[in-house]
Amino acid sequence: MSASDEEIHELVRQEAGDCLQRMEANLLALESGEGGSDEVDAILRDAHSIKGSAAMIGWQESATLANAIEDRMERARETGSVPRELVDPLLRGVDALQRAVNGEEGVAAPLVAELAGVGADADAEAAGTSGASGEGRGQPAARDPAPSEHAPTIRIDATKVDRMIDAVGETVLYQRRLEHAVESTGQAGRQVSDELEMGERLLGDLQDSVVQMRTLPLRMITSPFPRALRDLAAEEGKEAELVISGADTQLDRVILEGISETIVHLLRNSIAHGIEPPEERESAGKPRTGRIALRAHQRGGMVAIEVADDGRGVSAELLARADEAGSLADLLAETGFSTAEALTEVAGRGVGLDAVKRSVEGLGGGLEVTSEPGSGTEVTLLLPLTLALMRVLLFERGGQPFGLPMTSIGRVVAVGETTSLGNRPSIEIDGEVVHLSYVGGQRGAGGELAERPPAIVVESLGRRLALVCDELIGEEEVVIKSLGAVLSEIPGYLGAAILGDGRIALVLDPNHLLKARREAMAVEQPDQKNERPPGQVLVVDDQFSARELQRSILEVAGYKVEVARDGREALRRIGEIPDLDLVLTDVQMPEMDGFELLEAIRGDEAHASLPVVIVTTLGDEASRKRGAEAGADAYIVKNEFDQEALLETIERLAGK
Amino acid sequence: MSWVGVLVRVAGEHYALPVEQVLEVADMGEIAPVPGSPPEIVGVGNLRGQVIPVIDLATTLGLSGGEPSRVVVAEAGELRAGLLVDEVLDVGELPPASEPVASAYLLGACLVDGALVAALDVDAVLGSIGSREASS
Repeated sequence: MSASDEEIHELVRQEAGDCLQRMEANLLALESGEGGSDEVDAILRDAHSIKGSAAMIGWQESATLANAIEDRMERARETGSVPRELVDPLLRGVDALQRAVNGEEGVAAPLVAELAGVGADADAEAAGTSGASGEGRGQPAARDPAPSEHAPTIRIDATKVDRMIDAVGETVLYQRRLEHAVESTGQAGRQVSDELEMGERLLGDLQDSVVQMRTLPLRMITSPFPRALRDLAAEEGKEAELVISGADTQLDRVILEGISETIVHLLRNSIAHGIEPPEERESAGKPRTGRIALRAHQRGGMVAIEVADDGRGVSAELLARADEAGSLADLLAETGFSTAEALTEVAGRGVGLDAVKRSVEGLGGGLEVTSEPGSGTEVTLLLPLTLALMRVLLFERGGQPFGLPMTSIGRVVAVGETTSLGNRPSIEIDGEVVHLSYVGGQRGAGGELAERPPAIVVESLGRRLALVCDELIGEEEVVIKSLGAVLSEIPGYLGAAILGDGRIALVLDPNHLLKARREAMAVEQPDQKNERPPGQVLVVDDQFSARELQRSILEVAGYKVEVARDGREALRRIGEIPDLDLVLTDVQMPEMDGFELLEAIRGDEAHASLPVVIVTTLGDEASRKRGAEAGADAYIVKNEFDQEALLETIERLAGK
Repeated sequence: MSWVGVLVRVAGEHYALPVEQVLEVADMGEIAPVPGSPPEIVGVGNLRGQVIPVIDLATTLGLSGGEPSRVVVAEAGELRAGLLVDEVLDVGELPPASEPVASAYLLGACLVDGALVAALDVDAVLGSIGSREASS
């Protein structure tokens, strides 16, 4: 999914709206005499935030005006007071900024001039400077958004959405129980099954939309960053490239909205304070172009977002002072602290990291900064994983379901002969010796294992191990919930997911598994040679869950899988997929059902001999007969669905 | 000063929890054990879509021989957990728990109809899990 510009603009608009409201309240407090330096600092932070995000997406007019407000407030901070006569123009500046953010043109210039002029007698030089800087970046306002007709948004208390997610989850459970109860009577007619299936589909849609109300991938906000970063670097006479990884990491929407401006701050800081001018880099033996990495990944129960540059880092003297201040993050976040030698348009006035720290802490997270003089700085935002979606491979051990993030899984093997390496049972995979690992750390926990149990090969950072389990359940997208504050100190889990049947699957932290096995030796071997090409299967089912379950089972077993949502789509796909080995189809589907699909395949000379397996809830004799007459190679009833039987059938039919 | 408590039975003994700290008495269904957790953690349960840890009160208090059947959901500040008990007896006004008791998990004890009832320190019971694990 990629965010459209309009979605990004809407996020910036919402953030700016929040900032502007606070600025107004703080200005009014100053005017009434109740406010003091806290309010001044807060106004500075908000103006700085708006300037940052507006500049990033090319809203020059808004950025210029925000900069003018910031300049004027900055001078006020230096003198220690905000004169009464300044409040009014500042308030009008806030109003004009709101209009500029909403897309109105031509509102900035008069206010920029006025703000620069107010109190100019007192500080003529500063006024001149700020006026000039306002003019200096007078790029055409053409990039400002046209007054747009964006979809109206509503704001909802996040706890209400959470309650809704839980309620929908429960409803899905009851639907499944109902289906099960109806099916077990064996009397379900076609009409009842149809109605139940329709209910499941509708509930699935509902669940998807509710969850989407809460989460978005980081990608939503990253798309404008690379170009904006190049522009910022150019203004500073520097060269830099941005490398983004982990952009698919799902984040709570509330958090995602809160951090876009924070990340913008960090990128600007990296350019202004971190990356050196090209000549300086060359003489230091670095490539001319600086490299800024934006990485997101899950760390324990948190999401870590890192902005790392390969610039000059902070000075050794600063690092020493950091020990006194508590941490480098604390030191750099002190208001008024700046590592920039000169104040430039790009980063500014040291309010940057202060704003970052407050914003992250406001979201229940934390800030970490590490730096090495001469080689770079890394800022890590640690954000709570109150709610996050993750694709996991579910498996069973000792009658209990567990999950592992799909991103950490190499593949699944059957444990045959084990050897011992460093006193640990190990197996050989492609000539490499890999330690076996057990849930809970002990072989015995969870009961006896089967003779040749499956093992999931977990890989990360060049290490791997094989986690032994009883049975694979399948791949699923789940909502990860925290185990709660009481268990927060218990290592090894990313959280828990509530499955469709109401059971709880603990989701293991692959990094913890691998850390516990860090000493595991691995004899490095080149990549395995390809065996025969995998079979290609088309899965046809109108139900997302059924489709994805079959897909994951087949993919884990080494097949390449394509999917289609009904017979008509399937027919089209059959014509497009080269080397298709087998079709797996449901019967009851909209548009064209499975029997019709089968008849169409058999009637088409090019594909008449293509193996077709029917997988359906219809277990009655008449349906089976119809399937056989239409030319199905195999008929599998979903109630009796058995992973191994399915794989055997497919292996038999698709085996070359 | 008298107080209102939720009276429970754990391994044949009577305990009371301050009613303000009890959210509900729940039927949590299957509880998923959490490998690697301390022995008093029974596992995590599904409370209407919320994942909450369940603590075996008998193990915490060093008792044995209970027949846990009910889960009392309790909270202490940010911490929330289900406490496994044999039976929930009553909710009612209790005399001050002024008798001293030598246990980190109890606030004191009082006599109710001639039987000794110990007042649970819910903060200590819920707070003990994380800290002990962290220090080990």
